[in-house]
Amino acid sequence: MSATPTAAPPQLSLIERHHFLLRRLHSLSGIVPVGLFVIFHLFTNAQMIWPDAGATFQHEVDFIHSMPALLFIEISLWVGIGFHAALGLVYTFTGQGNVKNYSYSANLRYTLQRITGILALIFIFFHIATLRWRWDFFGWFTPFYGQLKIDGSYGKGVPMSMPLTAYALQYSWIVVLFYVIGVASVVYHWANGLWTAAISWGLTITPKAQQRWGAVCLLLFIALTAFWGAAIYGALAYSYQEMTTDQKIVFMEVIPDGREVLIDHGVEVPSEAEAERRQMEYAASHGGS
Amino acid sequence: MIASSPPKTFILKIKRSLGEGKPSHWESFEVPIRPSMNIISALQYVAANPVTTDGKNVEPVVWDAGCLEEVCGACTMVINGHVRQSCSCLVAENLQDGNTITLEPMSKFPVVRDLWVDRQRMFDNLKKIHGWVPIDGTHDLGAGPTETQEEQEQRYAYSRCMTCGCCLEACPQFTKDNDFKGAQVFAQIEYFNSHATGKELAAERLDVIMEPGGITDCGNSQNCVKVCPKELPLLDAIASLGRKTTVHAVKRFFSGKK
Repeated sequence: MSATPTAAPPQLSLIERHHFLLRRLHSLSGIVPVGLFVIFHLFTNAQMIWPDAGATFQHEVDFIHSMPALLFIEISLWVGIGFHAALGLVYTFTGQGNVKNYSYSANLRYTLQRITGILALIFIFFHIATLRWRWDFFGWFTPFYGQLKIDGSYGKGVPMSMPLTAYALQYSWIVVLFYVIGVASVVYHWANGLWTAAISWGLTITPKAQQRWGAVCLLLFIALTAFWGAAIYGALAYSYQEMTTDQKIVFMEVIPDGREVLIDHGVEVPSEAEAERRQMEYAASHGGS
Repeated sequence: MIASSPPKTFILKIKRSLGEGKPSHWESFEVPIRPSMNIISALQYVAANPVTTDGKNVEPVVWDAGCLEEVCGACTMVINGHVRQSCSCLVAENLQDGNTITLEPMSKFPVVRDLWVDRQRMFDNLKKIHGWVPIDGTHDLGAGPTETQEEQEQRYAYSRCMTCGCCLEACPQFTKDNDFKGAQVFAQIEYFNSHATGKELAAERLDVIMEPGGITDCGNSQNCVKVCPKELPLLDAIASLGRKTTVHAVKRFFSGKK
């Protein structure tokens, strides 16, 4: 009679014994640090909407880069997102979606949550690979930190966040589409995940409470969508004409064929002699590299 | 407005097999429509006249049924792609493409034959979660604690479960080859854990659903609560157990008991 409830429990592996903890940590790691980071990140990017040639946006970027223990924040993000993605992928493939036969809205959200999770993971990988690691995909790369990489340290003091982000987005409509799908996936996954996490943790245990918290999550979704919408609009609306002479010189140093890009956009570019003279002057006044 | 005259017969398309793991195939039967006909009476007609639309004489279709009034759960099957009880499914309201109804056995339980499945996994799970109120002792334990009317009414909703399996059939997380327990036992844990005497085993029940296949494996598709024919508040049960297991885990951690 091995089926009696008093039978000895089967031996569980280390992972199985901590199943509950792992599941709860998976839920938590989507909210802190990754989810919270996304709010700040998109809010910062939304500053690109201001028609001030990127001054507000640059101010926010400089603020983030001036934060103490930035490396610690970055590492905690890596650990959080790596853990969340690894377990999430395993969990995704333990389910068998059936939205075709049971097309309830909650079931649709269940299916979307898994699809957007995978899309978000792909997007975040490319986003970081190009912006952070400066990988080159099919000739497209987004040299966000370009100003730090120039010989003679000329570019160090030149605010390049806005022109370089604009360059990355204006490179091709495919990039814009990729960003729209990618960020929309991230934002959906975060808002819907926050709603279901409240059920999983037992925060909202009645339909009324779930409905209320759902409204909060919907507002968060709308706000974040507005933030990234503003960011993409700002990057596309930016004109290279707004660049200062210093920005143009750094732009030409950083971007392959940067001079041609600017000329194609009808921007008046400084001559090579002028650019060299300014670099020498800058190096002299800042003591070189 | 003049309604078009209702069809006199309809086609019952049935997925048939000789058992779990055996190849399955579809057979169609033409059945005359009688007033207020349900799926069970249509299946009874097929049993008496087991001739397919191709004119082939076949073995009668096997199905399971019991109460015929939607309280036992035995006749649960997938009708037109949607799980429900066949006794309470009226033919006239469910004709697709004008004259067809499709019947399949539930896909999440082993097929015994044709439309008959083995729902043993649910009953085994009820044993695992101690699905009872402990009242046995070596001496007279006396009268149990008094239950308020309100508590009884709250629990009544969960007592309506007939272990039919609809919630599990519609659940994307519950599959034949995994160990997910599903909404059916979660509701019964909530039921027994809110009983004044039944809650003596509350900690044991929570321990069971904190293991693999337990409450954390719920993927929040919330199909269970939509398809439940007895309208159990299954999502409330899942969320409530989410809270209780969270608290239980913290208590376990700091008490060092497990």
